[in-house]
Amino acid sequence: MLKLIQKGALAGAMILAAGAALAEYPEKPIEVVVGYSAGGGTDVMARTAAPFIEKYLGGGASLVVKNVPGASGQIGVTEVAGAKPDGYTIGTFNLPGMMARTIDREAGYDRDSFTYLANVVNDPNVIVTSKDSGLDTMEKLIAAAKADPGAITVGMSSLGGDDHFALIKLEGLTETEFTIVPFKGSAPARTALMGGHVAMGILNISEVASFQDELNLLGVATEERSDFAPDLPTFREQGIDLINGSMRGFVAPAGLPEDVVAKLDGAFEQMAGDPEFLKAMADTANPVEVVTGDDFKQLTSDLYDLANKVWQETPWN
Amino acid sequence: MTEARRNRLLRPETLTAIGLIVAATGFLIPTFDLRPISALLPAAMLIGLIVLSALLLVSDQRKAAAGEVAKPVSTAPGRVIGAFALIVGYAVATDLLGFYPSTIVIIPLVSAIFGYRSPLGLVIATAIVVGSIWLIFDFGMSQDFPAGRLWQD
Amino acid sequence: MYSDLLNALPEVFGLANFLAVIIGVIAGIVVGAMPGLSATMAISVLVPFTFGLEPLVALGLMAGIYNGAMYGGAIPAVLLRIPGTPAAVATTFDGYPMAQRGEGGFALQVAVVSSSIGGIASAFALMLLAPPLSKVTLLFGPAEVFWVAVFGLASIIFLLGGSPVKGLISACFGVFVSVIGSDPIFGSDRFTFNQLELLDGISIVILLVGLYALPPVIDLLETPLKTGVSEDKLGTEPIWKALPRMKGFWKTWIRGSLIGIWIGILPGAGGSMAAFMSYNEARRASKHPERWGEGEPEGVAAAETANNADTASALIPALTLGIPGTAVAAVMLGGLLVHGLQPGPMLFRDNPDVVFGFMWQFLFGAILLVLLGGSLATNSFARLLNLPRPLLGSIIIVLMLIGVYSIHGRMFDVYLMLGFGAVGWVMDKLKFPLPPVVLGLILGAFAEENLRLALRIGRGDWGVLFRNTTSLVLVALTIAVIVGPGLKKRILDARKARTAD
Repeated sequence: MLKLIQKGALAGAMILAAGAALAEYPEKPIEVVVGYSAGGGTDVMARTAAPFIEKYLGGGASLVVKNVPGASGQIGVTEVAGAKPDGYTIGTFNLPGMMARTIDREAGYDRDSFTYLANVVNDPNVIVTSKDSGLDTMEKLIAAAKADPGAITVGMSSLGGDDHFALIKLEGLTETEFTIVPFKGSAPARTALMGGHVAMGILNISEVASFQDELNLLGVATEERSDFAPDLPTFREQGIDLINGSMRGFVAPAGLPEDVVAKLDGAFEQMAGDPEFLKAMADTANPVEVVTGDDFKQLTSDLYDLANKVWQETPWN
Repeated sequence: MTEARRNRLLRPETLTAIGLIVAATGFLIPTFDLRPISALLPAAMLIGLIVLSALLLVSDQRKAAAGEVAKPVSTAPGRVIGAFALIVGYAVATDLLGFYPSTIVIIPLVSAIFGYRSPLGLVIATAIVVGSIWLIFDFGMSQDFPAGRLWQD
Repeated sequence: MYSDLLNALPEVFGLANFLAVIIGVIAGIVVGAMPGLSATMAISVLVPFTFGLEPLVALGLMAGIYNGAMYGGAIPAVLLRIPGTPAAVATTFDGYPMAQRGEGGFALQVAVVSSSIGGIASAFALMLLAPPLSKVTLLFGPAEVFWVAVFGLASIIFLLGGSPVKGLISACFGVFVSVIGSDPIFGSDRFTFNQLELLDGISIVILLVGLYALPPVIDLLETPLKTGVSEDKLGTEPIWKALPRMKGFWKTWIRGSLIGIWIGILPGAGGSMAAFMSYNEARRASKHPERWGEGEPEGVAAAETANNADTASALIPALTLGIPGTAVAAVMLGGLLVHGLQPGPMLFRDNPDVVFGFMWQFLFGAILLVLLGGSLATNSFARLLNLPRPLLGSIIIVLMLIGVYSIHGRMFDVYLMLGFGAVGWVMDKLKFPLPPVVLGLILGAFAEENLRLALRIGRGDWGVLFRNTTSLVLVALTIAVIVGPGLKKRILDARKARTAD
């Protein structure tokens, strides 16, 4: 009897030990490939999130950020897609840009190249107008666009990005037509807007939050109002069903082992509820909206379909 | 006569002008695939290069006709080609074998080939340069240099 | 606002914060002085590292490096004709001939004093005039910026050198290189041949290192007998003895400072354009323009004042509007972001201690420059260049590789640099001038992008380019620059003819 208990205990200990061996991931530093230079929005997100992921992975896990800048994040994300799926290489992922690039050029990856870990940031689009334009409500803007199709110039950060898709959605919803002026990045677009060189802009809320006195903010493309500008009504409140934004998250190469996925997803979920993390993200102007696993995959797929539809109708290059 | 004519075509400026015309024409081909507005500036520059190179070619040939002897580009072409080959070799070695091994070899190698052969001086200089690079970039700033593609896969 | 400025001062004198500026200035001078290593590269390597530092320590380091590197770039520009940073190209024009004549030490002293003056002027502009100057930036939309770029390109005609045909070939080459990458509007590929690495265009540092550093290195190896720079040629003397010889430069200093500050607040152009323009204007104003390019100390003063005067002012649009005035300011903006400092009008309200402290650090960086740069440059660096030529050459080769590799962390750029090096060597030997290539690369695509944005805003109507006063003033200036010299010559000739009668 005693022997039996001993045996049982031994067996139990062995199972525990085996379980521990499996659960030992990560046993070496995890490399986080960021497709942009140090100091960019995506880089700051990755570096802000890294210590929290380390904390929730536990066991002395360590994340090392590696910047692989170039070609709007393409070089970095291609490196992630081709990396060994062992959980020691993960990367940042931007939507809809990363999916749009698989449509408008030959990319070294597609939507099935990744294990989708977690989307962390959802930065909704806002429509702003310059103070000089006098278009201080959505109604006035749409009326002006209808009166002279194409007369309103819209500054944005690039073609084939979230702001471009937002404009195309807006044009479809309101049967209007605008002239797109794609600057190199959102800061120059915002500056041209402040100088009155373009009439309207589609930007992201984090980019205009500290410029609320210099610009007319007309609406935000979310379901509920954003914490960054609580007084700003959503488009839904104004009768336009426009929901769109720029998203940033983390992916790993496709074919990651189940247990590693579970462990990483768990860490991201715990991180999402950490008030310290939320504060750190708010300080760096990153609106957090964590979506993990299959939901994230679905989100990517939906955005791919949207981008593809837009591309079929109005190719941008 | 033929010798003289060949010499005229081998003048450095003439060769450069011909090379530029060929290269610019080659780059002109992909501009046809671009939208007109995208092609405008590059095509203008390439056509500019072709026209200017043609002018250069004509003026150089006039000089040749006037009997002016072209100055040789280098007094020691062997050394120039050797130096350039060593530099390219160093870059390739860094890529394949890694930054540190290649650097440890290249500093004394280049110095010795081109005339500085004091063994002590070479060892000290190499140690100081590689050491401070490691200390500042690798140790201080955790910058990664190529580790060598041969060892990685 | 000015009380915030004073409140921020005590913090700046905190031991760690002040030490950071000192270390930054020294590191900047060293980085700038190393051919191949640039300020952009140094700060981008530093940014991830500063994540764990106190904001003012991190920013102090960056302010110091920026100031130091803009001067440090002059050291190899004067002694070896290799500009250490893109902005030091114009310094080679007169600095190198001076060194050849045995006045290298004086050239460096002119450079350090001018750099310091430009930096101080710029820091004051940043501290006292940031909000009004950011309003000036707002005046410049795509149409106006296009004209600024054209104005800059027009100054190429002064850089053509002996043969206009060769100079124009250089310029066309530079502009052509600038269009490689993705189309500024549509994002479609131009001459990238499916290389993702080319999609963002070719970094100025890659071209500069290839064109400017590789040919001299090959020269160092080609004629190995002499040593780098002999000490007697340097003409070193204490800086207070050199100062009286610079008293005639005050006009150039003021002009250079104003040009540098102005170029700094316009996004995109950067220090090289400031230095070129200041050099041209100073030469135009000079009583003996024929001496320029032959070793005129005032030429060094003009270039070095302007390239330091755009350092702090480039941060004006960066801090207030989020648009950096230079590549270095762009990297520094990243450094600010890392510390949770979002550019915009709120920045000055929310984080006055850090922002104004940072401005003070710029000022102290500029002042420290003259103290640290004066002795450091003439004593240690010049001696470093005294190494046996083959050894010096091989060390520069290693530095070139590190500098170019570190920009994006890829060997592709190194190979590209070597390609430009081969081109540069041929150009050097056949006396094709290099400055038009640099200016063409910086301004070519920049002009195109803004032209096409302006045309989009005008819905295809070219009239949009002439629609407001700022544009028209710039057009007039450009015409004056192109036609002016010829006109002046004709008037002088006519006068001469009259007196001869």
